[in-house]
Amino acid sequence: MTLLTIEDLHAGYGPSDVLHGLSMTVEAGEVVVVLGANGAGKTTTMRAIAGLIGRRGTIELDGVPLGRRPEQVVGSGISLVPQGRGTLGQLSVLDNLLVGAALRTDKDGVQADIDRWCEVFPVLGRRQGQLAGSLSGGEQQMLAVARALMSRPRLLLCDEPSLGLAPIVVQELFATLSEINKTDGTALMIVEQNAELAMDLASRVYLLDVGTIAATGTPADFRADDAVRAAYLGY
Amino acid sequence: MELFLERLISGLTNGSIYALLALALVVVFRGTGTLNFAQGELALFTTFVAWWLTTQSIPVWIAIVAALVLGFVMGALIERTLIRPVQRRNDMAVLIVALGLFTGLNSLAGLLWGSETKIMPSPFPNGLDDYVSIGGARLYFDALGVWGALIVLMFLMTLLFKKTKIGLHMRAVADNPESATLAGVRTSRVLAIGWGLSGAIGALAGVLVTPLAPQQLGLTTMFSIFIAASAAALFGGLDSLVGAIVGGLVIGVLEAMLTGYISIIGGSLQQTSALIIIVAILFVRPNGLFGTQKLVRV
Amino acid sequence: MTTIDTPEKTVAPRPSRTPKPRRRIVVEGSAKHRGIQALSALLVVLFLLWAASQPLFRVGQFTNVFIIAIAIVGLNLVTGYTGLLSIGHSAFFGLGAYTTGILITKYEFAPMSTIPVAVVLSFVVGLAVGLPSLRIKGLYLALVTLAVGVSFPEIVRRAEDLTGGATGLVIRSRFLAPPEWTGLVRAERGIWMFWLSAVTLMLVMLLARFLVRSRFGLAMMASRDHEIAAAANGVNVARTKILAFGISGAITGLAGSLFAQYIGALSPDGSFTLLKSIELVTGLVLGGIATQIGPVVGAFAVVFLPYYTASFTSGPLSGVVFGALLIAIVFVMPEGIVGRLTLLSRKVVTFLPADHPSRRKGERPPEEPT
Repeated sequence: MTLLTIEDLHAGYGPSDVLHGLSMTVEAGEVVVVLGANGAGKTTTMRAIAGLIGRRGTIELDGVPLGRRPEQVVGSGISLVPQGRGTLGQLSVLDNLLVGAALRTDKDGVQADIDRWCEVFPVLGRRQGQLAGSLSGGEQQMLAVARALMSRPRLLLCDEPSLGLAPIVVQELFATLSEINKTDGTALMIVEQNAELAMDLASRVYLLDVGTIAATGTPADFRADDAVRAAYLGY
Repeated sequence: MELFLERLISGLTNGSIYALLALALVVVFRGTGTLNFAQGELALFTTFVAWWLTTQSIPVWIAIVAALVLGFVMGALIERTLIRPVQRRNDMAVLIVALGLFTGLNSLAGLLWGSETKIMPSPFPNGLDDYVSIGGARLYFDALGVWGALIVLMFLMTLLFKKTKIGLHMRAVADNPESATLAGVRTSRVLAIGWGLSGAIGALAGVLVTPLAPQQLGLTTMFSIFIAASAAALFGGLDSLVGAIVGGLVIGVLEAMLTGYISIIGGSLQQTSALIIIVAILFVRPNGLFGTQKLVRV
Repeated sequence: MTTIDTPEKTVAPRPSRTPKPRRRIVVEGSAKHRGIQALSALLVVLFLLWAASQPLFRVGQFTNVFIIAIAIVGLNLVTGYTGLLSIGHSAFFGLGAYTTGILITKYEFAPMSTIPVAVVLSFVVGLAVGLPSLRIKGLYLALVTLAVGVSFPEIVRRAEDLTGGATGLVIRSRFLAPPEWTGLVRAERGIWMFWLSAVTLMLVMLLARFLVRSRFGLAMMASRDHEIAAAANGVNVARTKILAFGISGAITGLAGSLFAQYIGALSPDGSFTLLKSIELVTGLVLGGIATQIGPVVGAFAVVFLPYYTASFTSGPLSGVVFGALLIAIVFVMPEGIVGRLTLLSRKVVTFLPADHPSRRKGERPPEEPT
């Protein structure tokens, strides 16, 4: 059952478009990786889905057209972990998580989720009262993911989660994401420039080039194709 | 000794007013990152409305509540229609719009109600006998009322920011508007509420200041208060509520002591003193005494 | 490779370009350019001659316009070109005015000889006001200038012995008689001030133009646009800002000095309050921030607007109009009148510097992109 359908998406900044008719799908519970070079439009795609920028084209969630405003998108069950993490540095870790639950009204459920994520990411539990800005890059990334998960999304968008992180931290992060995907059935769309690690989780890969999908297939297909591998996976 | 106490009392009372207006400035700054230059004149305008209501035989307390509501509404409206569209462009554009509001509101008040000073009735018992004696000094009830208002407001604000959802969202928007938006926070509503709240607090400062002698309600009443309030807000780097309150009280007391004990200065040079305080603070700590260091990425 | 498909990339077709009307090219320094400049100069002279022949009251108004224009040119340097908003320039205006007033009445200086003193004093005070910009950012600096602007009338009122306090300072007209070499009599001092102000305005505008085009001008604009980049490129940002304030203050002080000679009676609550600062900012923004002619246009607006609105009601209406105007400009025409006219004229005419590469190689001059 297709969770997310994007058809003929056009979006951009100012008078010129970055995305020229992008189409892709995500099945429920699936992990999809989007590859592409700088400027291909990966972040633009995420921002367009999340409602941060205007768009033309169709986006449907479970067959229902997706709202265009961020609060509608989050309310429908899609959450974005932005590039650079977007940590609310002056707020405590706990407050960051609470902000993630902005649209939720079930206090007990929110508390249960906070407890859960502090368990899954122990460092968050240890530093609940600390200012989020004082956390390391990896810790902030985990906080950003937890914050996005607080809204109990059915689809989690991750924009370059490995950016600036040490390889070991990235491994840990992806392992956790994979866990969450298996346990909760949360679909993942992960955008990466160099996505070797992400591909281990993925069931499908999209290649984004100059604003449209240039190719799609399974990770095995991509690894088998020498040209693509050299260009996008770095070996 | 009693002279000292009287000066202290007077200083704390004026300081409370500065603190109140400084709070309004800080709330706006935390939400939008700008200083609302027109804050004082907005307060002036709402106070004029309150005064006018009292001349229409409406009881003082109701007039005050009306002023608070008007302050909230005007603050929110201003943010929506005048500030938000321009914020994206550059800082100076916002300053100029605020400057326009400053002049416009002040002149509008003069246009509607004339420029002679008006007598604003006090919400607290105001007679010559309405005081309490402390160590020989007189603590008038209206001064006590102002202190009370500040304390109540401080309590309410702390409650708002620390314990309520909307307070959390306001802090989030102030910190990182995009992240807040991504979490589903209705950023535009939060911003409007922030300015509205600030307008209401400013209105409170306005209606409280005017009954205190020798301030009666005139077009220039809020100038010096705004400057002192800005200096007070700077104590906290413009984003600390505690800093604003401490700053306001300190400036109020300093002024009272200086004008009392050093006669050269006299009442009318308080602006210059406030100026010197501002410059001194910013020289030593460009982010204010209580402010948090903000990293600027190049 | 089994399942990789490469769908056609659809790129929106480029909109067809309608041929644009060929823009006129004027090369700087060419005969055409010189012709335009001469024509403009002629028009200015004609205007001045016409204005000088108007009834005395109008002559006085024009004089006021020139003086305010000088003040705004000063403000433009620090706010327009260096990007530091100042709402305290009324203090410089007042400083210049009172310096002249006091030197004439108490020390019997000749009016013209008070001008250099006023300028130097305003320059020094300007440096002092600019000093905080070492550490303080734009917004806070604006606060400082606000406090300066509000303090000035207070200080004047306090220093009664020197300034006459709240009651004001009157300069008897016999002290303001035109200098002998002009051949004018005391009664003709209106005309004298008219020409003095006009000439001073032109000199100041030339000075400003020279300054803006100099390396210092580049430093000013670099500090305004991107402080960190400027500093990284060797611009001494702090020194630039402080100097800009000094020069700006000096020019506005010069205007103040002329104002004292023009009006003959000074009072702290008359023309040296915060409202004056706001007038200057309004004139600057309306005329066009960081343009060379903007201050003059703005001055005309600022002087004549209250005159016409006063016919409706008393005083405060001009404040409401200024306030509304400031807000409206930011929304509708942030580049000001002159800025907007310049933008419009660019569609019709392009001014090329004489050493533009296309000319050297003999190619066609560049078309501007859409």
